[in-house]
Amino acid sequence: MGFYILSYLCIFVFILATGYRVYRQITLPVHLRWEVYPVQHETTDKLAHSGSYMEDLNWWEKKHGSSLFNEIKYMVPEILFIRGLWKENRNLWRVSFPFHFGLYLMIAAFGLLVLQALLVLWGGDAGQAGGAARSLLDGATVLAGWTGLILGVIGSVGTFCRRLADPELREYSSFVDYFNILFIFLFFLFAFLTCLFVDPLLEGAKAYVFGLLTGGGSLNSYVPGQSFCGGAAIVLASLLVAYVPLTHMSHMFMKYFLYHDVKWDDAPNRRGGAIEAAILKNLALKPTWNAKHIEADGQKSWLDIASSAPKEMK
Amino acid sequence: MKKTLKPSDMARPSDCLCHIEPGELSPLPPPYEDFNQVTVPPLKLEKVKNIETSLDDTVAIGIPKPASKEEEEKLVRRFLSGLKKLFEKENNWTFLQPLLLSMEHCAKCQTCSNACPVYEMSGGKDIYRPMFRAEVLRRIYNKYLKPGGKITAKLTGDIDLNWTTIARLAELSYRCTLCRRCATVCPIGVDNGLINHEIRKLFSQEMGISPKELHEKGTVQHLRVGSSTGMNPLAAKDSVDFIQEEMEEITGYKVEIPWDVEGADILLLHNAGEMLAWPENVGAFAIIFQAAGISWTLSSEAAGYDAVNYGLWYDDVQFSRVAVKHADIARKLKVKKIVIGECGHAHKALTVIADRLLTGDLNIPRESAMVTLEDIVLNGKIQFDPHKNDFPVTLHDPCNVVRAMGIVEPQRRILRKIAPRFREMTPHGVENYCCGGGSGFAIMSGYNFAEWRNLVSSRKKFLQILTAFQGEPQDVPKYVCAPCSNCKGAIRDIFNYYHAEERSRLYYGGLVEVIVNAMADMKKPIIQFGEEPSWKS
Repeated sequence: MGFYILSYLCIFVFILATGYRVYRQITLPVHLRWEVYPVQHETTDKLAHSGSYMEDLNWWEKKHGSSLFNEIKYMVPEILFIRGLWKENRNLWRVSFPFHFGLYLMIAAFGLLVLQALLVLWGGDAGQAGGAARSLLDGATVLAGWTGLILGVIGSVGTFCRRLADPELREYSSFVDYFNILFIFLFFLFAFLTCLFVDPLLEGAKAYVFGLLTGGGSLNSYVPGQSFCGGAAIVLASLLVAYVPLTHMSHMFMKYFLYHDVKWDDAPNRRGGAIEAAILKNLALKPTWNAKHIEADGQKSWLDIASSAPKEMK
Repeated sequence: MKKTLKPSDMARPSDCLCHIEPGELSPLPPPYEDFNQVTVPPLKLEKVKNIETSLDDTVAIGIPKPASKEEEEKLVRRFLSGLKKLFEKENNWTFLQPLLLSMEHCAKCQTCSNACPVYEMSGGKDIYRPMFRAEVLRRIYNKYLKPGGKITAKLTGDIDLNWTTIARLAELSYRCTLCRRCATVCPIGVDNGLINHEIRKLFSQEMGISPKELHEKGTVQHLRVGSSTGMNPLAAKDSVDFIQEEMEEITGYKVEIPWDVEGADILLLHNAGEMLAWPENVGAFAIIFQAAGISWTLSSEAAGYDAVNYGLWYDDVQFSRVAVKHADIARKLKVKKIVIGECGHAHKALTVIADRLLTGDLNIPRESAMVTLEDIVLNGKIQFDPHKNDFPVTLHDPCNVVRAMGIVEPQRRILRKIAPRFREMTPHGVENYCCGGGSGFAIMSGYNFAEWRNLVSSRKKFLQILTAFQGEPQDVPKYVCAPCSNCKGAIRDIFNYYHAEERSRLYYGGLVEVIVNAMADMKKPIIQFGEEPSWKS
């Protein structure tokens, strides 16, 4: 039961930390535009040359067109295969891709295990062992699990060695940078050893996830915690889930905001629109910058200051 | 073996943290090999004895050395106070979200370094890596402003904070042209250019530290006198009168430049530097607009005849003041739209960045001149004879027009129609390289900064230009079309510095000059290659 309690606690931390990060982003004030082109949700004719709607004569008289399809077409290979790194930094991609893809497959395998557990609990006939749905899920889980573990081990060892061996990376790396990779490597290693020696068909993992959903219920007599490697894999996986959103590794999901809220945020401010309302709120804020030319006294708003010329030079 | 520098070295005592030795800069091809052993000339000791010079071979700001230990400590405290304000919405709503995201998610993969022309051309000097200054700021923030930071710094990356660190960081923020090429290649979306921009703001807005060309002679003069060139409204009108006369003399075309026409369709905003340094650009705009029958005007109100907004590069408050002034002038003139002339940073400042600042009747439609000109040239409003432009032409993409706004094709469609020997640089469009004069560098020339710019930050552009004209005979005049005043300034300087006119017959100018040069009813060419006209009348 101790493993389950640890897992629950770590999932709770993950939800809290991720929720906090997302909440903070969505409650930050609207910022000045700072997009950089190409903006991938542009319409196809513009995207062909990385152009924007501002290339059109009197663009403000037209509806601001965008293409979700173009965005998805770009984002899927970017997320799954780290296409940007492939294009710009091929040597690093060779270790970074298996590392990241291994993690994705772990998440996919976990998702499939949850699905299996749900099928067993509420799937009726479809949830019976030996049924087509269960067999398909079993196969996909084993495939995702094994591929992910192999890629993850290779990728994390490669990433660690690369960071240590390449002076370009080494000189800018701190203890935490190495610790993070080592942490992930140890998870991959113990999970891999568990599968190799004890749980090749991920039956134990399946049972553990079923237990997670049922407060400790069991599908079969073996659960990973009964072996040292299995226990270590559960502890490391749980701690990793809690740890990721507390670090820069949260870029895994925060990348959404980096792209959508900054790099591609090209939404024009229309009179009477929501953006204008947000700007008016911002302009009422009272800055306290100390340089004399700002002439901020804590009472004047941004609007007051922006509408005045400075009396002081410095 | 190459000496590597780490972010923590910024606090280390040294007279010069990073020095470029002869031969370390990226090599130039023939006939410019004689520049390959040239390096930045030493600073004159008598001029720099009282200012901070310990970063590298040049000085952009010229920060006075503190007189006492107490003053040093006071300045460190002010720096930390400013750093804290960067993360407060009251003080930095303008860029708080982009800053937080870029500060918290860098994986230190160095992909950005490979994209940076300054880092590449310097021969790979560590301090010029885009993430170097970002990492310095990140470490200071984590250690000195986050709870428990002094303990966790041992694990997350340590740095000492003293006056040396701060003075070097201020200078280092003026070794990046804010071209944001680094931001386009980051797989995560981190923008080290943005962090650099925020460092500049901290120094200006909290400590009153900025290059005098950008502040005293720049935004302050702009708001006080009417233009960063120092021209008041009367002087601006005189200049334009002179341009009218000159245009008739040069091209044989009589042009009337309208002032303060209320209700005109277009308020044209020029970089006032054009009136002084490239008057033919102002004249060419007038010829095109007049020939196409456009309803347009210039403004003679202070700041209304100068589109620049140097605040974009270092100070959000100064930026806001200038942008509001521009919009207010257009509002009073009751024009239908503002068209930004050939000035890259003015494009971005007023069209994109100020978009989240201007509200109500100040939110007047704003358009790039590239778009307005494309409509005139491609829709038959003027007749052209492209054979008049029978010389090799290449196009420089101003970062602020292309990468920051996505205005990529209009200028190309124009050139394809009227310049039969047009060819692209490699790479071009949104992947272009900065002219090296971005973010104010083109107008900064104190101490030996101009030499540093010509040798380091503009070097990649010079190489690109040479490559674009590879295969053309040496004695054929070649034209670099640079539709941006700052870019033209930087390109003018590199052509002079490397004697490119004499050695390769390289010339430069704007887009409107190429358009006017090809107008069918023009009696004389507007483009000259030295004393030689570009076509015979």
